[in-house]
Amino acid sequence: MKGYRRHNWVIFFILGLLAFGMWGCAAFQPKPTAQLEVIPNETALTPALLKKPVMFKGSGYAPNEMVIVDLMIPKGVKIKSVSEDEESVGVAFANADENGNFQAKMGATATLNWFFQVGWTPNIKPVFKEATPLPPGEYEIRATGAESDKFGLATLTLVPPPKKE
Amino acid sequence: MRNHSIRWLVVLALVIFGMGVFTSTAPAKDIIFMDLSDYTGPVAGLALPGSMGTEDYLKYINNKGGVEGLKIKYMGIDTRYDVARAISAFKRQRRNKQVVAVGIVSTPVGKMMQALTKKEKLVVHVPGDGEFQAHPGNFFTWGPVYQDAFAATIDWIMDDWEKKGESGKPKVAVLSWDNAYGREMLRGGKEYAEMKGAQLLPSELFPTGTLKHDVYLTRLDKAGANYVYVGGVDPVQTNVMRDATALGLTEKIQFISDYWGPTALGISLHPKALEGMVVVSFFLRGQEAFDHPLLKELWTTVRKQPMDKFNEGYGIGVGAGINLVGAVTDTVKRVGKNKVTREEVHNSYLRLTGLDRQGLAGRCTYSPTRRAGADVVKFYKVTGGKIVPITDWVQTPDAVSMHKWK
Repeated sequence: MKGYRRHNWVIFFILGLLAFGMWGCAAFQPKPTAQLEVIPNETALTPALLKKPVMFKGSGYAPNEMVIVDLMIPKGVKIKSVSEDEESVGVAFANADENGNFQAKMGATATLNWFFQVGWTPNIKPVFKEATPLPPGEYEIRATGAESDKFGLATLTLVPPPKKE
Repeated sequence: MRNHSIRWLVVLALVIFGMGVFTSTAPAKDIIFMDLSDYTGPVAGLALPGSMGTEDYLKYINNKGGVEGLKIKYMGIDTRYDVARAISAFKRQRRNKQVVAVGIVSTPVGKMMQALTKKEKLVVHVPGDGEFQAHPGNFFTWGPVYQDAFAATIDWIMDDWEKKGESGKPKVAVLSWDNAYGREMLRGGKEYAEMKGAQLLPSELFPTGTLKHDVYLTRLDKAGANYVYVGGVDPVQTNVMRDATALGLTEKIQFISDYWGPTALGISLHPKALEGMVVVSFFLRGQEAFDHPLLKELWTTVRKQPMDKFNEGYGIGVGAGINLVGAVTDTVKRVGKNKVTREEVHNSYLRLTGLDRQGLAGRCTYSPTRRAGADVVKFYKVTGGKIVPITDWVQTPDAVSMHKWK
């Protein structure tokens, strides 16, 4: 009986350790070390984005380093060609200036591939019929310095496209 | 008894702690080739068969036990030809020391990767920019660089011009995409053409995605072009030939495709349009590729596909796989299988000179001073709906060194 109690205690101890470890990981999530702004921070997915793409502005990065902007993939959202074990997809990049500031806009290919999720013809024409656009919602954007690993966070809200009259 | 339990708990706690700490730093057993390819995007038609070739060749080697027991895993990323996606995916693996080599399929990705990895000895497989040969670093092209293949084509043109008994200089023009790739072949290729006595006409460059080429073709016709070198990834060449045929230009102009031109599959779909086109290639095409024993074995037994679905672009990837396995074999021999690092694999790439690619391409030409993967090409011609060889392997001139690089 004594031994049984002792085993219970041991199991509780191990579970406690595991819980602490998991809580610890969550509690010690690194905080952003740079600033990031998404322009606009709210938009509808319409073809207008190809002419006036989403832009990203940031500061606090290492001078002249490459900054990579990722869209963090929320649980339950599937992005064409991105495997389920990938937590993000790159959507833009730029080099920071000598003061650690950067500005990047989404290229047409990125907007088509990751926002609209179009298909492509062999003639390099997007196929909107095969598009599965990102669902409306809030998306975390993360811009990371390739050398410094400094990162900024911001939110992009996708709203439903206006209804056709 | 109490002491015994405490000791047991301490051991357990250490084991749990150790699992967390040491799993991330344990020495890697396998190594990884990361392929930043395009499976479903704009250039998937060419990139996908190539990626399949590398994946299958690595599987084939792994199935045979790997390199002295060391397995080379294939990690494929579908970038859909997007630079940001490729760079982001690479960054995630940048500090993963198991990744000893990376493959990319796009010139713009190459430029960005060059900026990211310039201080590293990480092997990057790239298509064919001469810049990587002009400034030797960690980028290795699959075959001869674009300008060297163009220069070999100039040799073929001069020979053809003479055989036809024509007088004066042949007028040659480039018709290609309006991007860095579309201009690359003339960085050294222009100097070579002028040195050989060809008259280069101004290039006609068009945006990617262009479906009709009448305007560009008409201008080339008016300029008196005798030979037009067509760049782009097929079906660009097929579309150009369709338009040229409709304009009646294939009777008076010889069209030549660069090495991303039509494969047997494309030709079988558009035999009339492509009839008569010459294709310069650093990898086997047509029946020669279909009959190649290794390609056939890999396609049917590893990919498990029938040969009627085979695309010759597969051979490019197999060639790249042979290079990688050759380099890893060399590394294992030199330093042992537990010391296979990026730097050592890079050093081995410089020692691959003369590596036999079983005839599916020329011998490897990587060396301490050379980053181009081969120095021979073959010329094919579309005849009767088939792509047939019209030369054996011919030496590519060194056009890169003729250009004044910044």
